[in-house]
Amino acid sequence: MSGTLKPYLAAVRRTLTAAMCLENFSSQIVEKHNKPEVEVRASKELLLTPILISRNDKEKVLIESSINSMRISIAVKQADDLEKLLCHNFTRFMTMRAEHFIILRRKPIEGYDISFLITNIHVEQMYKHKIVDFVIYFMEEIDREISEMKLSMNARARICAEEFLKRF
Amino acid sequence: MSRNDGKKDSSASTFRKIDVDQYSDNNFREEDADGGIGGPTGPDENEILTLLSQYPFYRFYTDIITLQSAPLGCKNQQVKDNARNLTLKVLLSIKSTQIDDCLAQLDRDLLDVLMKYIYRGFEIPTEGSSSHLLTWHEKVYNISGVGSIVRAFADSKRA
Repeated sequence: MSGTLKPYLAAVRRTLTAAMCLENFSSQIVEKHNKPEVEVRASKELLLTPILISRNDKEKVLIESSINSMRISIAVKQADDLEKLLCHNFTRFMTMRAEHFIILRRKPIEGYDISFLITNIHVEQMYKHKIVDFVIYFMEEIDREISEMKLSMNARARICAEEFLKRF
Repeated sequence: MSRNDGKKDSSASTFRKIDVDQYSDNNFREEDADGGIGGPTGPDENEILTLLSQYPFYRFYTDIITLQSAPLGCKNQQVKDNARNLTLKVLLSIKSTQIDDCLAQLDRDLLDVLMKYIYRGFEIPTEGSSSHLLTWHEKVYNISGVGSIVRAFADSKRA
């Protein structure tokens, strides 16, 4: 299964690089407002085709782009209830501190575990390829992190159970 | 010299009866007619399937036929989904070793169409389909670069 991870990340990386062509664009509806068009969805002509890349039916990335902003939503592999719980807590921890991660969206899109919102300002202030690198690194890390947490949690549970059952 | 010399243009008043409000931006509604008769109907499913079963060695020719008749401008989602399913079937039937031969037959425009269908194919992952599509994606990218991905994003004629 791990054989598909590399081409998967490569495809996501290429698609992100292509999608990250953002420019400043003021709202067409409200004067002196400047909103991420991918969020307000006010006019159809500013939105690009949403693109989905999947590794299997559990792991997928949705990339929605518009003229001045893009949204990347990631669904993380969750094989069992424990992984679901760990993933939920992990993403919750991150989204509660979303302002420190700058591009993190406070609430994931429905059906996905975590979302990023990148606007033209981010692309202007940071290196574009570094943002892409960050997202790819994040995708690599979250899988590893969750499986590590699962292992350590199981180990801890085993020790606890041993201690507890010593009495009997 | 008067602009209306003697002609009855000035007296014509029918233009006053035109309901200009119907041309207002707010009332603009995109036609969602179903393409119906005369619209593109997409590749002929039976034809492709017979070709696939008869000439398994020349699968990539079926690929070309499928892509050439792709109903991109069509507004009917059903037609598009059918075409998507059929294209996906053809793409998945081509072995990884044959992909290069197949792509060598395609010109730039068809590569763009192919890229759109690869992305559509990701939306319905089945057993092993995504990894095969990832191979396709990589090979197409190696030929046509970021350009075809951008066109898959930005083209209003969606696959």
